[in-house]
Amino acid sequence: MAHIPDGVLSLPVLVGGGVIAVGAVALGLKKIGDEDIPRTAILASGFFALSLFALPVGPSSIHLLLGGLMGIVLGTAIFPAVCVALLLQAVMFGFGGLTTLGVNIVNIALPGAVIGAIVAPMVQRATPARAALIAGIASALCVALTGLMVAASLALSSADYMLSARVMIATYLPLMLVEGFVGGFCISFVKRVKPELLAGTA
Amino acid sequence: MKLWRALLPLFVLSLMVSGADAHRLKLFATLEDSTISGYAFFVGSGRAQDADLRITDANGKEVGALRTDAKGAYSWKAPSVQTYHLVANTGDGHVADTTIDAKRFAGLSANTPDTAEDDENAPAGSISAAQIERIVDAAVARQMRPLIEAYEAAEGRTRFNDIMGGIGMIIGLAGLSLWAQARRREKKP
Repeated sequence: MAHIPDGVLSLPVLVGGGVIAVGAVALGLKKIGDEDIPRTAILASGFFALSLFALPVGPSSIHLLLGGLMGIVLGTAIFPAVCVALLLQAVMFGFGGLTTLGVNIVNIALPGAVIGAIVAPMVQRATPARAALIAGIASALCVALTGLMVAASLALSSADYMLSARVMIATYLPLMLVEGFVGGFCISFVKRVKPELLAGTA
Repeated sequence: MKLWRALLPLFVLSLMVSGADAHRLKLFATLEDSTISGYAFFVGSGRAQDADLRITDANGKEVGALRTDAKGAYSWKAPSVQTYHLVANTGDGHVADTTIDAKRFAGLSANTPDTAEDDENAPAGSISAAQIERIVDAAVARQMRPLIEAYEAAEGRTRFNDIMGGIGMIIGLAGLSLWAQARRREKKP
């Protein structure tokens, strides 16, 4: 799903994704402060481990993406976090690919970064219950955006790997629901137990 | 200290995840007689049902298009002896491919036609070399199949050690960047 393997995308899409990813990771690293590093590492390892765990759904299989959660907690540091995790998954498990690394980083991290930037101030001000709701909706939205971007990457590349709308809906809809719950639960938990984790997102 | 408290749930989580698997799509194909059969599957997380499967010949010309069944399986009779390339596509960005080399059709490429009449005309009790080759091919294919299946399933499986290694790598990188930032701060004043 979100981990597009090697040999599927066309060169312009790969280069475009790569350039955007390099810029975004550089931006994320530039803005990262000492106090951001531990939580970036924690979420990167969380994403790394959790998105390896997949469940079969119809012709495909789904796994968590955590884009919304990472975007809210990390801000732009989501790019280096996702970059490291995806690189390790590609090298260690052949999950995704090295040539598609850039595109995959953009597809997973960009929705998180954009939506995170919009809702993070709201989450900071809200009560835990409201924060959970906001984070849940944001997480589900991130999944949908990632799905659309994956579809766009494939559609721009070649007609051979045309996506089936039926399969996309069958796999992304349940994932949106699950991500919404996971994102909402995590944020409300953090909000109650360790609210300062959400304080300093740039 | 706080960092360790935060990492503990992650560690517990990774214990649960161990044995769970990545979801890379793979395509298993085996050749029996002139029928290419197998299934599309996600490493460790089930078969790919109703996935699109396209078969091209050595020249890249599409010679077959089918879909996998409810068990992710497919079966296709090759019309002639040549190298075939199979590509499975689940329709959401998962693609896997495999190749059946022309050399594996050995038993069939033997110039004896495999019609029933020939068998009847042959002297009773005698078996031609081509027939032996075909029988051996079928037997070997049957016996090898579970082995190849196990290998395909094992390859790419996520292991606990790998996951811990990856997490360790990320923690190491975090430590490295903290160290780099501390050095930068020391130099400044």
